[in-house]
Amino acid sequence: MSSGGPERPQLVAHVQQALNYTLFDCKWVPRSARLLCLGSAARGTGLLQLYELRGGRLALLREIEKAKPIKCGTFGATSLQQRYLATGDFGGNLNIWNLEAPEIPVYSVKGHKEIINSIDGVGGLGIGEGAPEIVTGSRDGTVKVWDPRQKDTPVANMEPVQGESKRDCWTVAFGNAYNQEERVVCAGYDNGDIKLFDLKTMSLRWETNIKNGVCSVEFDRKDVNMNKLVATSLEGKFHVFDMRTQHPTKGFASVSEKAQKSTIWQVRHLPQNRDIFMTSGGAGSLHLWKYEYPAQRSKKDSEGAEMGVAGSVSLLQNVTLSTQPISSLDWSPDKKGLCVCGAFDQTVRVLIVTKLNKV
Amino acid sequence: MPVWLREYSWRQTGSAVYLSLPLRGVRVTPANIFCADQYLKVSIPPFLFEAILYAPIDDTNSTAKVGNGIIFFTLYKKEVAMWDSLTLATANKEKLQYLRENAVLKAHEKAKEETKAKKVTKQEHKKYALEATMKLEEAERKRIEDLKEKERQKVTKELALWKKQQKDAEKQKRVQKEGELHQEVEQLKEKKKEKMNKTRIPNEETSETRLKPTKGCHGSYSMFSENLKEEQLPAPRSAATIKINFTSRVFPTALRESRIAEEEEWLRKQAEARRTVSADLSEVEDLKEEEKNPDWLKDKGNKMFATGNYLAAVNAYNLAVRLNNKLPLLYLNRAACHLKLRNLHKAIEDSSKALELLTPPVPHNEHARVKAYVRRGTAFCQLELYAEGLQDYEAALKIDPKNKTIEKDAEKIRHLIRGTMQDS
Repeated sequence: MSSGGPERPQLVAHVQQALNYTLFDCKWVPRSARLLCLGSAARGTGLLQLYELRGGRLALLREIEKAKPIKCGTFGATSLQQRYLATGDFGGNLNIWNLEAPEIPVYSVKGHKEIINSIDGVGGLGIGEGAPEIVTGSRDGTVKVWDPRQKDTPVANMEPVQGESKRDCWTVAFGNAYNQEERVVCAGYDNGDIKLFDLKTMSLRWETNIKNGVCSVEFDRKDVNMNKLVATSLEGKFHVFDMRTQHPTKGFASVSEKAQKSTIWQVRHLPQNRDIFMTSGGAGSLHLWKYEYPAQRSKKDSEGAEMGVAGSVSLLQNVTLSTQPISSLDWSPDKKGLCVCGAFDQTVRVLIVTKLNKV
Repeated sequence: MPVWLREYSWRQTGSAVYLSLPLRGVRVTPANIFCADQYLKVSIPPFLFEAILYAPIDDTNSTAKVGNGIIFFTLYKKEVAMWDSLTLATANKEKLQYLRENAVLKAHEKAKEETKAKKVTKQEHKKYALEATMKLEEAERKRIEDLKEKERQKVTKELALWKKQQKDAEKQKRVQKEGELHQEVEQLKEKKKEKMNKTRIPNEETSETRLKPTKGCHGSYSMFSENLKEEQLPAPRSAATIKINFTSRVFPTALRESRIAEEEEWLRKQAEARRTVSADLSEVEDLKEEEKNPDWLKDKGNKMFATGNYLAAVNAYNLAVRLNNKLPLLYLNRAACHLKLRNLHKAIEDSSKALELLTPPVPHNEHARVKAYVRRGTAFCQLELYAEGLQDYEAALKIDPKNKTIEKDAEKIRHLIRGTMQDS
């Protein structure tokens, strides 16, 4: 339960809404008090619901039904005026929808042979520079990067070598997009692999294995020189990698924390403060963490190569909201501390985190 | 026989009797004094003092003070009266006895009642204490709840305010846009008027073209800015593929640290089970550890096959089969070696044995079965038993219909058959 102490941030449950379908992802619509719930109805079709936060409740504005259940969505690659939603569904299709006219998608491609587990977008919403791109990771073991201006073929495809047995890709994230050329994609797989692909040189930049299936990866900011990467996994562990210094053999320095007894499903950084992030767990709990940098971020090892130094992570607050896993989490980019989470008990909850200014 | 104490002195008032009993040289404890409502006894072996009182007294309130070799009793009478004497004059032993017993019984009952009363009061005290702590905890909880409520309300207000701000900001923007558009239109209209005053026909054209941008009214302002931005966006990346390798994992499930031990155990057992299924200890004794492992031998055989050393490969497979004759892959690979060595009958034997072991036919061993059929078919064809060969090729094709090489070879055989039939 949340602990007292007058200066600690409190996680206040603001609104709760029971749904009659399985909720897989929830996202704030940028520049508004509206949120989007994506999921799967009992009859096997996909559902998109648009809610608005009014007073103390969520008012349903629109409900859109699609052929296949929708697993994930992002607004990351659209402009602020258009605000198109990119979704990945159970059939491996990537679609981009205009929510004003959702009958026909603006862009559609059958990107993967199996369900798209995770999606991320970069280059839109006025954040960062460079082309808008969407990356999808799927159960068929491939990670593909799409440009909405190019039909049918991905602009980058990370696939296993011929004859290699495939592993599910569970999560993808963009990062390092600080100018028009640079971009990296980080992908996490179910066998514990984390791979970092550099899209400028089209090569594998780094890989590691964290001994547990990787549920979620996120850079603290997509549009800066890559600073930190948080990877969460099964068995209640998460790792924070310091991405500023890459050692030729040891890779990136990291600190890991075993927080909850169950899977940590999601990690999301606060858009307004990149050192604060929230993790959501399989036991229905949310933990708010703060990362503290070490005195020196890099040091020289015995051969004189630069090596990163990882800092430390401290728990600010935690709260248990549900008995079922909280599978999706999103911070509002417009209001500091406002976040929405969706759990497998078919409820979407809007939370407010207070006192973040004093952290 | 007890020593009776008869030296005592007493005096009385209307409501109380004061009795002093001297005791020389004996230590008195409260246990030695026994008092019922009409009976008083002090028993310090061997001394004994007993008195059946004239009238009943209130024994709960009466006191006995012990000190200085004397006990001083203060007995409060139940009825206010003056007693003729301290004790009742009764000579009857039986009566005495009866009175004594009665007194004892009464004392017992009193004691019981007292303990009961004590229990009850104890219970009540406990209850009270519990209730008090519960109230305190309630208060604490309420306090925390109130704090949370306050936070929540504060935050809701802030949220409402923020939403309002947003709406206002949007409205303002819209108003601004319209204002600016108006201005543009005004300016253009003015320019148009000016130019119309100068010349006519050419102007209409220009004015028309100039009006077009403003017609696309609402979007125009933003359209222009967006066009500019789109030009700034780089072209889509040139497509490329990155090939990756995964950390190998035998199981299709996700990796969990807590399960690693179990999984290793299972794999180890599987490997052991495959090792010596049918080994004869006498043969096996002088082999090295590695050579007893059929999997290792199979790998060795494969390597030798790859380098072209077919006889050595056959030897390796032979040894492996001696150790474990239930592995279909050994027979399959040996069949391939025999084909290369043109030991066609042996090739057929081995492929057949492999197919036997590859029952039941499941998708899992599809690949192996196709190979087995193909090898047997090749052997038959090389023996010029084309009909049987074709049968095997068709079986292979049934399992894997998409394989072009098998199809081509089957076609060739059909031609050959037709050719020979035509000849004969």
